[in-house]
Amino acid sequence: MGSSEGLTEWVLRASRGEASAYSELYRRSRPMVARLVAGFAPLDPDEVEDVIQETFVRAFRALPRLKEVGAFEAWLLSIARNRARTRLERKSSTRRLEDDVADPEPDTVPHIPEALQLERDIEVVRRLIAELPEGEEKRTVQLFYIEGELSAREIAEKLGVGKSAVTMRLERFRSRIKRELLRRVLAGRWE
Amino acid sequence: MRHLNADALSALARREPEAVAYFREHLGTSCDTCEQFLATHSGPDVLDGQVDALLLGMGPVAKQDAPLDEVGLARVRRGLRQGRPDTRRWGLIAGAIAASVLAVVLVPRLRAPTPDTDTDTEWNGVKGPSGNIALELAVVARAADGGLRRLDSESPVEDADVLLLRYHATEAGTALLFQQRAGQGPELLGRFPLEAGTHDLEGPQGLAGVSLEGESGPVTLWLVGATGGQEPTPEAVRDVLVGGSSAWEQSRLAVTRFDVSVGSGQNPR
Ligand SMILES: [Zn+2]
Repeated sequence: MGSSEGLTEWVLRASRGEASAYSELYRRSRPMVARLVAGFAPLDPDEVEDVIQETFVRAFRALPRLKEVGAFEAWLLSIARNRARTRLERKSSTRRLEDDVADPEPDTVPHIPEALQLERDIEVVRRLIAELPEGEEKRTVQLFYIEGELSAREIAEKLGVGKSAVTMRLERFRSRIKRELLRRVLAGRWE
Repeated sequence: MRHLNADALSALARREPEAVAYFREHLGTSCDTCEQFLATHSGPDVLDGQVDALLLGMGPVAKQDAPLDEVGLARVRRGLRQGRPDTRRWGLIAGAIAASVLAVVLVPRLRAPTPDTDTDTEWNGVKGPSGNIALELAVVARAADGGLRRLDSESPVEDADVLLLRYHATEAGTALLFQQRAGQGPELLGRFPLEAGTHDLEGPQGLAGVSLEGESGPVTLWLVGATGGQEPTPEAVRDVLVGGSSAWEQSRLAVTRFDVSVGSGQNPR
């Protein structure tokens, strides 16, 4: 995806055990991970830091087993989302402490036909945003994903709504994108 | 009508032709049931990561060339060394501590910030060498019940205590805070701006405290100051700390240390 081209070399070097490659991977991919976790507004800043740390600890520990180095970013972000969701559910007591969302196994992550259809994917997202009716959900999505400066917490403050409402709007929109991407994957990218 | 569920998802992950054919059509239009399922279940494969990479790639974060967050990386390294990644054995906590309370406790013991009377021993910790900046450190323990007490170096503390730091600096600069357990190397906890005068150690998220949760035995805190423009890397500072007092003299850093002994008994009051 977007920034993954430059990552591949560092993933390879890290999987060979080069310590400096881990620093570089962390430097390059932390902003994306942090941005993802910033979408979970009920998490306070300390919890956000914890989730980021836990994500990288898990990913770096399993990285030598990652077969598809080109899938590093998607794999890392999958772990980050799992960690954030687990933390959020524990916080709201909907998940028991010992329960855990399983992270994708690094040795079974499939090849991702990278950038092949990226432009078209971006077009799909733009179209779906444009199709949203004018209102709070559209504004939230634009603020978080397009302008990309404010955290979900800050958006809640700006719009004067509850923290979980912002996260729910983002998740709702995201689930539409996920459905669309899954359909497109089924329609050809796996063949 | 069939909608996505755990079985369907694993059939899709196995690329079963019938499931692929059905959901390729079904997911062509918006479906609340399936979208709800996709929102609350991860997969198949790393589709979630692909979706997030795509969405986050639309914003400015994907284009930025970020500086290395040394403090965050230090936390990751620490996590990798520990058995479990998700235990927060100790670390910085920030925010929810009232600065004014801390100030009240420390004020009676603070001396006037006059650099030419640098000889009194009211403050704990090792004084900075004759570099560009001199730094002193005072520590207060906040107990689990919220009670505060000022510590002398080598004071006994409980693992439920949180240590709050106050410093006196002769000029503005930057400080790195390290924690060191007996028999281990110093580990970076955070980087803080220093202002001239007497202040609480405060980061971007507010007042900083060091949690001792899960600790036992001797623990050393190091606060190492440098003037602006001479900020050393954490690695360089670590080398200096490990090198002992002669290395401190040679460096242009102000090195202060504070030792506590963590037990689990009653707090001495
Ligand atoms: Zn459906």
